[in-house]
Amino acid sequence: MPAQQSDSVPVGVEFSESFVEADGFRIRYREAGSGEVLICLHGGGGLRISRAHELLACSRRLIAFEIPGFGQSPVNDRSASMEELAGTMNAAVTALGIDHYSIMGNSFGSKVALWMAILRPQAVKAVVVVGPAAIRLPNQGPPPGRLAPERAAELLYAHPDRQPPIPPLAPEIVAKQIALSARLLGPPRDEPFEARLRALPMPVLALFGTHDRVTPPAGAHLFREILPNCHLVMVYDAAHGIDADRPEAVAAIVDDFLSRGDGFLVRRKSGIIYP
Amino acid sequence: MKAALFCTTRYDGPASHSVWPAPGDTYSAQWAERSMQTTLERFRLADEMGFDWVTVAEHHFAPFSMTPNPMVMAAALTNVVKRAKVAILGPDIPILDPVRVAEEIAMVDTLTQGRVIAGLMRGSPNEYVTYNTNPAESRERFEESLQLIKMAWTERQPFGWQGRYYEYRTICIWPRPLQQPHPPIYISTASPESGEFAARLHLGAGFAFTTVQIASQSAKYYRDQCRLNGWEPSAENIIYRLAMHVAPTDEQAIEEMREAGGGLPSVGLSFRNRAVESAVASSGYYGRDIETQRARLQSRGELMDRIDKGQVLVGAPDTVLGQIKRIRDILGAGILDMVVASQLGDKATRAIELFGTKVLPRMQEL
Repeated sequence: MPAQQSDSVPVGVEFSESFVEADGFRIRYREAGSGEVLICLHGGGGLRISRAHELLACSRRLIAFEIPGFGQSPVNDRSASMEELAGTMNAAVTALGIDHYSIMGNSFGSKVALWMAILRPQAVKAVVVVGPAAIRLPNQGPPPGRLAPERAAELLYAHPDRQPPIPPLAPEIVAKQIALSARLLGPPRDEPFEARLRALPMPVLALFGTHDRVTPPAGAHLFREILPNCHLVMVYDAAHGIDADRPEAVAAIVDDFLSRGDGFLVRRKSGIIYP
Repeated sequence: MKAALFCTTRYDGPASHSVWPAPGDTYSAQWAERSMQTTLERFRLADEMGFDWVTVAEHHFAPFSMTPNPMVMAAALTNVVKRAKVAILGPDIPILDPVRVAEEIAMVDTLTQGRVIAGLMRGSPNEYVTYNTNPAESRERFEESLQLIKMAWTERQPFGWQGRYYEYRTICIWPRPLQQPHPPIYISTASPESGEFAARLHLGAGFAFTTVQIASQSAKYYRDQCRLNGWEPSAENIIYRLAMHVAPTDEQAIEEMREAGGGLPSVGLSFRNRAVESAVASSGYYGRDIETQRARLQSRGELMDRIDKGQVLVGAPDTVLGQIKRIRDILGAGILDMVVASQLGDKATRAIELFGTKVLPRMQEL
């Protein structure tokens, strides 16, 4: 049978680690690459650099923030709302001297990303949401962060056996992250947020894993219905951890979308077999 | 039980039935036209006689079947078959464009006012040569394609697909299937891999040109897998395809069927090009149960042996009804998909008539 393992060849991209001050938070971030800027916001499990991030950093400057209150950072009880947290993250981008950028948010991070775009529509060129929890069907499954690592792996990945084990997090970090996500994520349908989304000017790419049980593809249509310019894409054989299950597929479409905007609908790869 | 009439649209003129691809040097447009009209007439008759389904299928480069695109024949049937369901069993989806398959089935479903049965197949080994597709990727292509087709039928918002084998930026088909959420889907479940996949996705199971014994083992595996996935398939979830010939007496039916070479070609389509079959086999196409699968496709024998194995129904109406009951008891299939020996000409047509009047009403009560 054909090989499916995706991580046979290392990408060879090294991420550096730094901190930036914004709104009184000391925010950790990891960075690689050069060129147009892509800001990445992680999901409820915290900052993680996937192979998709590495691949994307080959053609752009990728900055992956650790949202205040995640990982080793102190408990964040100051960000009163998602809107306020997004303002902080935009301030962090500005503090890095960046004027124009695109944003990619996974799961919980999708709502931060969309709020950042709402707040700075002139600065944000495009938004990518991956397994987005920003708009949800009622009664969607539990966030994987609340499950034991083995159960979380089953829920996160279409093929848990092909993934490295999820590194165990200290219980206090897990508790802190869960509390922050639960406090800020908001209801499945957040009317004031959706009203703002309806006026979002830039293109949005929404990626859903066909096997995602956390943010299932059944809810994907909501993004098309609410956002004025949203491209839905189903990533086959991926669960909630889409970029872990199908890193090459995710990186390729995100790169194409960021490079060509709405024009990415039109294929530009040559079909010539032999010249 | 339900009865389906399967016509391959066999080319009834002189042609080679032992090699693949069959050379076209004996091809005659008149024979081809006549053969297609015969098929349409038989389907019309089956519909009038009360057959539950009529069946079309995809095969390439062979006079055995002149429906390389079964959708075209299915569309033609919308003017011929007024009542029966039109079973497209099926397009060979790993060698086709899945979006096109979704569109065509939705179109025929709308034209037939919701009478389409969607059999989504892998096709026989030789079909991988047809459009130059790597058979090693057959199963993965099949599984991905089927899930894409389902999504094209059900997702109402335009969506892109970032697959392993298929990539589309935006899909939103018109027309959409009339049956909601989509037409019933069947796949061939001869192999354990297919049985597991069908069980996981709640698909119907089909067994074709095998033996009732081999099929019953595969059907048991399929049912076990369905239970593991939390559902119980009904008899109607299982289709069994075989040859059929009915005549007023057993003797006549047997004699006529012998005249037709036993109702099945002496060499199955897959084995008419040994080099192709062998190269496909070495690619891993057959999966983990390769020995059984290859043996199944080569299982040919004397007519009485074929009757015994449940590969053909032959005899007077009462005899055939007994053979049907036996298959039902062993296999639990709810639908028999029957192919008549086209080379018998009018006798094959009369067999459909006789089956329709003398067997079908009693079979449908089983």
